[in-house]
Amino acid sequence: MKEQWRLLITENNSAYTNMAMDRAELVSVSEGKAPPTVRFFTWKPAAISIGYFQSLNEEVDLAACKNLGVDYVRRITGGGAVYHDKELTYSIVIPESHGQIPKNIMQSYGRICRAIIKGLNQLDIQSKYVPINDIIANGKKISGNAQTRKLKTVLQHGTILLDVDVEEMFSLLIVPNEKIRDKMISDVKQRVTSVKHILGKDIGFKNIADAMKIGFEEEFNIELNEGTFTEEEIELTNKFEREFFSTKEWNHKR
Amino acid sequence: MINKCIIIMQSQSTYKVPNGKLLKIFLKYNENENLIDDLKITGDFFAYPEEAIELIEHKLKNAFLKKEILIEKIYSIIEKNHIEFIGLDAESLTKGILMCLK
Repeated sequence: MKEQWRLLITENNSAYTNMAMDRAELVSVSEGKAPPTVRFFTWKPAAISIGYFQSLNEEVDLAACKNLGVDYVRRITGGGAVYHDKELTYSIVIPESHGQIPKNIMQSYGRICRAIIKGLNQLDIQSKYVPINDIIANGKKISGNAQTRKLKTVLQHGTILLDVDVEEMFSLLIVPNEKIRDKMISDVKQRVTSVKHILGKDIGFKNIADAMKIGFEEEFNIELNEGTFTEEEIELTNKFEREFFSTKEWNHKR
Repeated sequence: MINKCIIIMQSQSTYKVPNGKLLKIFLKYNENENLIDDLKITGDFFAYPEEAIELIEHKLKNAFLKKEILIEKIYSIIEKNHIEFIGLDAESLTKGILMCLK
């Protein structure tokens, strides 16, 4: 029998809840209280996440976020600012000691990204991993990824863009000046694509989630069974949301 | 008696690490003595463990702002604490810090 991993599907949560869930899973898997876990999720309201090392005030136009009802949150992973709107976000949480996960960090990025590539392949989208942390299709970025390792456990999360509004994204980010804003918008339009752009049609969350499920199952030779959070994970999620991700101390710490 | 006046300068730099990420440094330094007063290392790079960045910022306080000294200090912190950077390295970090002086 194939190894059984847990699949969680959580749509329409806030940025704080989503980041707290990832961290709760990390604790739970590290203590052996849950099997390796893959989660597919969306954000409501739309939100900007910034990398652990980024300065919130330097990257995000907080007033614009407030006006447009967009949340912002600091991740526990490094990497850049991401506008989470029309996308599927995934996370995988797995012990560092698991045989399927390379010890080398860059190699493990590649390995996990291959699951996403196989998922996109299910939708007839050809893509490839480009180090450090991107997946590109037709020469343009379709997915960004970020990994941390804590408690001897790997957490990698990332996005698969279903559609992208570059103007809206840049209205929420700090740019040096308006002239550069236009240049940055046209540059990013050249460099970023989406599932909708490639397929020429909208594809629902369920379809992309089904495709990604197969991608993970094939890449890791496992079965993903849809499950639920444990009681302890729910408590931890509430705790991390309250004590970290929704607080000024955490989000403004850099 | 001569009162020594310490001037703390504030500066920042942005440096694209070759084959890496965008590093943004915020530096306060003592101009008389050429020493780091306070340092924030920000950007879209990766570091393992993440908390290591706060350690580096802390350990570089009062460091002399000279290339060889900074590189050696940073290497030594990296080695002692088993820090792994992705999209950033000790040379680029040093370069970003010293760019604040120009």
